[in-house]
Amino acid sequence: MTEAVITARQFDDAQQQRSASDLGIWVFLASEVLFFGALFAAYAFTRFRYPDAFAAASRLTDVALGSVNTGVLLTSSLTMALGVRAAKLGARRALIGWLAATAALGLVFLAIKGGEYYLDYTQHLVPGLNFQYAGPDSRQVELFFYLYFFTTGVHALHLIVGIGIVCTVAAMAWRGVFSPDYFTPVEVGGLYWHLVDIVWIFLYPLLYLVSRA
Amino acid sequence: MISHPVLPAKVYVLIWLALITLLLLTLGSAYLRLGWVNGAINLAIAVVKAVLVMIFFMHLRSGHYLLRIVAAAGFFWLALLIGLAFTDIGVR
Amino acid sequence: MSAAAGTPRETYLNAGFTLWSWLSSVDHKRIAILYAISITGFFFIGGAAATLIRLELLTPAGDLVSADTYNKLFTMHGVIMVWFFLIPSIPSTLGNFLVPLMIGARDLAFPRLNLASWYLYVLGGLFTVAALVAGGVDTGWTFYTPFSTMFSNTHVIAAAAGVFVVGFSSILTGLNFIVTIHKMRAPGLTWFRLPLFVWTMYATSIIFVLATPVLAMTLFLISIERFFGVGIFDPALGGDPLLFQHLFWFYSHPAVYVMILPAMGVASEIITCFARNRVFAYRSMAYAVLAIAIIGFLVWGHHMFVSGQSIYAGTVFSILSFLVAVPSAIKVFNWTATLYKGSISFDAPMLYALGFVGLFTIGGMTGLFLASLALDVHMHDTYFVIAHFHYIMVGGAVMAFLGGIHFWWPKITGRLYSDGWARFAAILIFFGFNLTFFPQFILGYLGMPRRYHEYPPEFQVLNVLSSAGASILAVGYLLPLCYLFWSLRRGAPAGPNPWHAKGLEWRTPSPPPTHNFASIPVVTEGPYAYATPEAAGD
Repeated sequence: MTEAVITARQFDDAQQQRSASDLGIWVFLASEVLFFGALFAAYAFTRFRYPDAFAAASRLTDVALGSVNTGVLLTSSLTMALGVRAAKLGARRALIGWLAATAALGLVFLAIKGGEYYLDYTQHLVPGLNFQYAGPDSRQVELFFYLYFFTTGVHALHLIVGIGIVCTVAAMAWRGVFSPDYFTPVEVGGLYWHLVDIVWIFLYPLLYLVSRA
Repeated sequence: MISHPVLPAKVYVLIWLALITLLLLTLGSAYLRLGWVNGAINLAIAVVKAVLVMIFFMHLRSGHYLLRIVAAAGFFWLALLIGLAFTDIGVR
Repeated sequence: MSAAAGTPRETYLNAGFTLWSWLSSVDHKRIAILYAISITGFFFIGGAAATLIRLELLTPAGDLVSADTYNKLFTMHGVIMVWFFLIPSIPSTLGNFLVPLMIGARDLAFPRLNLASWYLYVLGGLFTVAALVAGGVDTGWTFYTPFSTMFSNTHVIAAAAGVFVVGFSSILTGLNFIVTIHKMRAPGLTWFRLPLFVWTMYATSIIFVLATPVLAMTLFLISIERFFGVGIFDPALGGDPLLFQHLFWFYSHPAVYVMILPAMGVASEIITCFARNRVFAYRSMAYAVLAIAIIGFLVWGHHMFVSGQSIYAGTVFSILSFLVAVPSAIKVFNWTATLYKGSISFDAPMLYALGFVGLFTIGGMTGLFLASLALDVHMHDTYFVIAHFHYIMVGGAVMAFLGGIHFWWPKITGRLYSDGWARFAAILIFFGFNLTFFPQFILGYLGMPRRYHEYPPEFQVLNVLSSAGASILAVGYLLPLCYLFWSLRRGAPAGPNPWHAKGLEWRTPSPPPTHNFASIPVVTEGPYAYATPEAAGD
């Protein structure tokens, strides 16, 4: 292991620094699981009480756009993972390319999400703004959509932060900060990105696939 | 522990293919009328996808064992929240 | 190792005298001081609210303030004392200062994150003070729905925002401690050679990381619900107010273990030093700390016994609440056993620590009464509950915090304080505390409800006793401010180890240099190596 890495003064060596960063980001990810987890708990509570209303409400979401978006995010995880791999190999150009692809896919997700939000708005499905639903259990359908906008909104906020992180890391890569011995920001950014993907992996069936049969 | 072995790019693409397949599976199975089994299948597939992302994209498998404990702890604690709260709502 | 008086030696205190050098410092010791100053400020704001409460309760009539104002007083007292004083108190001051020193490290793992934590704390505090200045909040520190989301006419969102922000201060501090303790221990410092204070910082950090995010999201949920007038806690939509309570208490019960575990760690450090004895059954003490942290996550429903929660859930949570008392009791037995055949001296820190053990025991035992479903039906929302948690949080946590301040003051400042005044203050506080809160057990048992500014005349005598006690307590709390600050100017220089204590923090000068140790120590023995042949000459 070369000493090309700058080790912060509180650490004994680069290995300890790297090990601390790894543990640090994973502890943060665990806290994020609980952060989103509160929303999943709220969803579980409410769906348990109103299964029929949730089924009806879920059918009003756009499953095509939601599924495409899921594919987009899964693909962005692939590009992010390939980016981390490129960093490990010292392939600077490839790294920047994969990071750009990841950010681009994130933006595509947000665009599609925005489109969905607009469609929901035209269909009067936005609680607190213009919610109107003529079917049975309309109040509980409104609860579903409150959770839908809340969870996807918080997720989107995290995604925006993620895109910011990916762009920042890409800028660092452009300046030649990384080497096979030091690419911690790439790794840390990647782990955050994958977490945002995992949150969506769970949100997708809970919001879009409650009852499609 | 400091460096994970560099996996060939092919591995990542294969995992991605598995994820997309699982996506199509969960979407397709939603159109079968299976009652509560639909929800169970969807959740199970989501768990598999999440685990694949964690093991392969997030390198949990090759990392220090403490990281796996931390990851598991996060999900386990969430299960505690939902599980114990359901002793109330599930029975009311 | 210690410098002769008058010889300038580089310490963390004289490494830069400008305000900016303090506000931009990433040195864990300076950040600890920043926290100490801030939490003291908040303590006195929360204390001012308490003063007005106890003044109002001198008479049965609600004659000092209106009912609405009273609601705001007890709300702000709770919000400020819980989130801006108690929760950060020991971890962010003593923990920040001591954890790197105790494990032989040069700083925490992420020093800049540490400074960010303090700035988040200040930002959260500003939001909350803004809510206070703008007219206060009247929901109680518990923010129960639907009152907080739909009916309160006060600045709920501002206060919730303040707590949301300070929550992230906790999460990042916890993250920092976990990584530091796992990765940066000195050579030879295995887990079972760690001082128990470090164990409690570790367990507390686990709670910070896993519980606080749930609170953050819950506060976000009520804020959005309040702002948009629609949400999942709204009964008119089929929402469930109990969902809020489950989410809120999932955090807020473990939060009380955040308040007590560090206090237990401080007690272990002080008792061993002033009894000149190893701690009794060290491993069981360490395991008990972890057990309290983990089981503490499983008991939150005991705050909801009469809320409409299912009887089944009530039973489950009641049993688990009894269970969590077991590791706490083990610790009390072990502290007592540590005293046995010890060579005990009654310096101020020891007075605080002994007071802690006794008062925590009373608080803990009364918790068992409340954990019992049938008794709680009678005592929920009465002064019995208030007395119970003040015995733990004030008689326990605050006493231990003061004990820790007095124990480590020489290390932190390089000065000795007046022992006579310190012991007097400790005894005054102990007396004042008991006079304030013991009558409240009786009041609660007799049926006086909490959160009311007026009460039936037959309760007046006990209320007057309680308020009298509070005035003595107030004097007791002001005394340390005086003699501790006096010591900064006129106190005798403390050497590196005025208490002849074990622990790595005592092996460096007082105050420590910025980089903590000239060379990282190598650890060859367990903690608390008192009362051993080698210790005889120390």
